[in-house]
Amino acid sequence: MLLLQSEIASILLNGLQQGAIYALLGIGLTIILGTMEFLNLAHGALYLVGAYTGLIVFQETALSNGLLYSSGITTLGFEGGFLAALIVVPIVGFGIGLLMERFVAEPFYDRPETDQLLVTFGLALIVEETVKNVIGGNTFQSIAPSTILGVNVSQPISLPLVGLFPSWRLFIIAIAFLVIGLTYLAIERTDFGLVVQAGTHDSEMVRILGIPINRSYSLVFALGAALAAFAGLIGASIQTVSPQIGTQQALVPAFLTIVVGGAGSVRGAIAGGLVLGLIISAMTQTYSQWAQIVLYLFVALMLVFKPEGLFGSAEVGE
Amino acid sequence: MSSDASDPAADTSEEAAEAAADAAAADVADDHAARATAAAAEGEHLLSIEDVDAYYGQSHILRDLSLHVEEGEVCALLGRNGAGKTTTLRSVAGARPPDVREGAVRFKGDEITDRTTEDISSLGISLVPEERRVFPNLTVEENLHLSDVARNWSNTFGRDVSMDHPGMSTEEVFEVFPRLEERQSQKAGTLSGGEQQMLAIARALKQDTDLLMLDEPYEGLAPQIIQTVEDAIERIAETGTTILLVEQNAVAAMSIADRAYVIDQGSIVFAGDSEQLRDDEKTRERYLGV
Repeated sequence: MLLLQSEIASILLNGLQQGAIYALLGIGLTIILGTMEFLNLAHGALYLVGAYTGLIVFQETALSNGLLYSSGITTLGFEGGFLAALIVVPIVGFGIGLLMERFVAEPFYDRPETDQLLVTFGLALIVEETVKNVIGGNTFQSIAPSTILGVNVSQPISLPLVGLFPSWRLFIIAIAFLVIGLTYLAIERTDFGLVVQAGTHDSEMVRILGIPINRSYSLVFALGAALAAFAGLIGASIQTVSPQIGTQQALVPAFLTIVVGGAGSVRGAIAGGLVLGLIISAMTQTYSQWAQIVLYLFVALMLVFKPEGLFGSAEVGE
Repeated sequence: MSSDASDPAADTSEEAAEAAADAAAADVADDHAARATAAAAEGEHLLSIEDVDAYYGQSHILRDLSLHVEEGEVCALLGRNGAGKTTTLRSVAGARPPDVREGAVRFKGDEITDRTTEDISSLGISLVPEERRVFPNLTVEENLHLSDVARNWSNTFGRDVSMDHPGMSTEEVFEVFPRLEERQSQKAGTLSGGEQQMLAIARALKQDTDLLMLDEPYEGLAPQIIQTVEDAIERIAETGTTILLVEQNAVAAMSIADRAYVIDQGSIVFAGDSEQLRDDEKTRERYLGV
């Protein structure tokens, strides 16, 4: 199959967009897993909450089923616009992260991983079912504003090589990479980030050095949660929203991302996310029915031939 | 039991009393030495482990273990693999596991048995653990900077930070280990085993350390690197920093230690001066295989 230049360019752009979502999810999952040695299967639920919060803040969402609908409420939301969602969603994620750390994660830090798996998977199901019951199990259209700060984003713009590409999606890619970039700087250039990086490798050694890393646990958890919620908003901007997306579109890809990138590495999460995003994008545009198969085969091959991931080190997991 | 382990404190406190008299006579120039001997004369050790029983899950590892370390000395804890050496150091450092169920650990007279690892560290106990455990994803410089972060954060959180031996600056650390200066912007994961060991010790030296605990610092190192690390440990000891050294390599450890304990199956089976242990062939053969 011969690809046109424009097709290759659009594979790249779509890949960047999907990759950004995976990277945001992967960063959050990896810093929580590394620093607290806490396996959070509710990470996808945070993505789900982010997506619905975005939907509700962005527009008046018309309900057609669910508990609220049957009790007479037909619309839900604020018409706050996309900029409002950009601010509200991470804050909501951060707040939920603080609560989750305090009431769900903390009591399980010293418990076996299987207990952590059960409690967080249970939480993920509770969130998913609650959304299904209260807001309804139907699928909502993705968020698509026509203007942002007065700039019309509904018209496709013409890019060299690519041809026409929705300007809205360019904006989404830009904002996602801005957040990834800021997170990367915060991790790479600050003392807090240094402690998180060290902690993702060996949190006990950080404490032996006299750093009270557990005091930053809630902050790390909340940061990871805010990034996951933000990823949910980005996802909701380009894909439809339904109660199942937490697991299908977020949790599983987040784990694949840190497998590819290397557990305990923020850089790895970014690289892993982009690699997976590009694979999915390329396959979807060419042999879409093989996309999932190729994706999982790739991850399986990574596990066999480079189990430490792109940026992981052999020490992880010892 | 081949040696008189029953009352190791007796002769050391005699020595300490003598030393105290000497110090008094010889114009107390060295503040630190005076304080050390005074404390020892009162029977107060820098570190004392008293009748500790520690467990890994259901396994009873330390059995009624007691030992003490005096300020300013180099003390070696020797024994075979699995004897309980690492468990002893982890118990002191507050690392969990092990679970300390009986007994007490005291530092400068205060009980620290149930305090957190980070608290114990900022009180002035630095552990250089087995396998070095440097952060492979960070550069040498960043690894060292973490010790500064520890101090800053401890101040921020208003915890009592030890002041007796303020940590070395990065420049001073580089004087001890010039090799690290050459490698400062390299990732720690790319260093050789010896360089990683130097880094592990260096970052402990940057902390405000009154008691440096070294867990098998020579393990897996080439002979000439062992010499470098040994020289560094001697230099650190000369600055008056107290050292508790755990080793399987008894010969190397005895060459720099003032005093030694031998541990077997979680209990102390020998306590005395290094010379005493050198002369005590039976103990060496039976518990150390040398």
